Amino acid sequence: MESLRIAASGMAAQQKRVAVISNNISNMSTTAYAPRSVEFADLHYQQVLRPGTISSQTGTVVPAGIQLGTGVRLSAVTMSLEQGGLRESNGDLDLAIEGRGFFEITLPSGEAGYTRDGNFNRNAEGEMVTSEGYPLADGIVIPDDALQVSINQDGEVYAYFSNAVAAQQVGTIGLTVFSNPTGLEALGGNLYKATEASGSPVIGAPGQNGVGNMRQGFLEESGVDVVNEISDLIEAQRGYELNSKVITASDEMLSTMVRMR
Amino acid sequence: MDKSNYINLGRQSGLMQEMRSVANNLANVSTTAYKRESAVFTEYVISLENNSPSISMSRIGAHYTDFSQGGQKQTGAPLDIAIAGDGFFSLNTPLGIRLTRAGHFIIDQEQRLVTIEGYAVLDETGGEIALPAGAADIAIASDGTMSAAGTPFARLGIVSSAPEKLTRDGDRLWRPLDGYEPAQDVRIQQGALEQSNVNPVLEISRLIEVQRSYEAGQFLLDRDDDRLRKVIEAIEQLR
Repeated sequence: MESLRIAASGMAAQQKRVAVISNNISNMSTTAYAPRSVEFADLHYQQVLRPGTISSQTGTVVPAGIQLGTGVRLSAVTMSLEQGGLRESNGDLDLAIEGRGFFEITLPSGEAGYTRDGNFNRNAEGEMVTSEGYPLADGIVIPDDALQVSINQDGEVYAYFSNAVAAQQVGTIGLTVFSNPTGLEALGGNLYKATEASGSPVIGAPGQNGVGNMRQGFLEESGVDVVNEISDLIEAQRGYELNSKVITASDEMLSTMVRMR
Repeated sequence: MDKSNYINLGRQSGLMQEMRSVANNLANVSTTAYKRESAVFTEYVISLENNSPSISMSRIGAHYTDFSQGGQKQTGAPLDIAIAGDGFFSLNTPLGIRLTRAGHFIIDQEQRLVTIEGYAVLDETGGEIALPAGAADIAIASDGTMSAAGTPFARLGIVSSAPEKLTRDGDRLWRPLDGYEPAQDVRIQQGALEQSNVNPVLEISRLIEVQRSYEAGQFLLDRDDDRLRKVIEAIEQLR
């Protein structure tokens, strides 16, 4: 019986939605997390009687026809890469991007990864690395004897030394943009990888064409709106229940049918 | 077998189909811009031999799609677009032009405005919409004019077609069977999505009705079975 399978597709879709919602809620405090949202699409229709089929010799046509639906599917989980709020962290190497750019990171495999999480640290060699220890692709090395580091909004990194009054520039952090950032592949650990859908990475000058500026001492907050997620969760749960009602009713109809004499 | 059983069976199989449409509506309770469907029972008359009165039987004669507008859900995403009024976005798909009201769009790697399936959204002249490179703030006016940083660059093509000239293609797409024309009196709302117009309360009440009608039909069949059995027993005793 079709209605059982249709209701099952509805339950499966709502269940995946709950998974996406719970992932969003659990990342409500993850730096620069982009909330995901699900999109459903109806499955194809069984065309029993096409609208427009001729219904008599005089040429009258069937106005509506019979098209039976076959259920629902999860069509996409899209990322919403809206700018999150900025939180003051006072870390010397904490950077937030105001705009749509990404930091380029060199992954251990040598590939390029991209992130908006600007929680950087110094490793043993003085390199600027992410909290996982992956270095920035721009290769910023901060000398050991630097007293203070200042990063301006264009990404220029200056170090101050005790024996010199003027600051010395030790490098520039670039930003990368994508024509379709929602097409990036999430790798976990706040990292993304370029894909065919995202387009190739374009290195943009900070402050131009919406690429964004950097803010030292700030971190981007997670974009998750918890109230929104909870109302979605309630909707998903009720949707799940509704579909289970269909399964119960179909089951009872089937058992009535089986009892037929 | 008696005609009465056939009448009943026609009704029973129709109820099974109606159950299927209830199931499909409830499965799509969260599908963007889904339009609820419902079955229409029609009677058809068959004449009996020997000038006896004709009897009417029921069957699912047509399917009705409720095109009423669903509620709007604010998402705040700049490329989520809802249509208020009778109209559709036109899309360029590999199978030809398709219409949709599900306005969750993204930008692809060629800077075109596309659906999540990758079908290009068309403007009022039927061309694909390309966003200016580096456009950060896209604004869409209520008449569908799209602008970036205050400069208009395209206008969404909103079209309409009579409901009887549309077939459902799945994936929230509608296939126009007989062309379409520019829509009148529609308003575009940026940052919102149209929700499914399925009303769960209504569907559940239909669900109960279908289920109980099915049981009632089954009861009739059982009683008819009893009646026949008794007739046979009576004939046996007559012999």
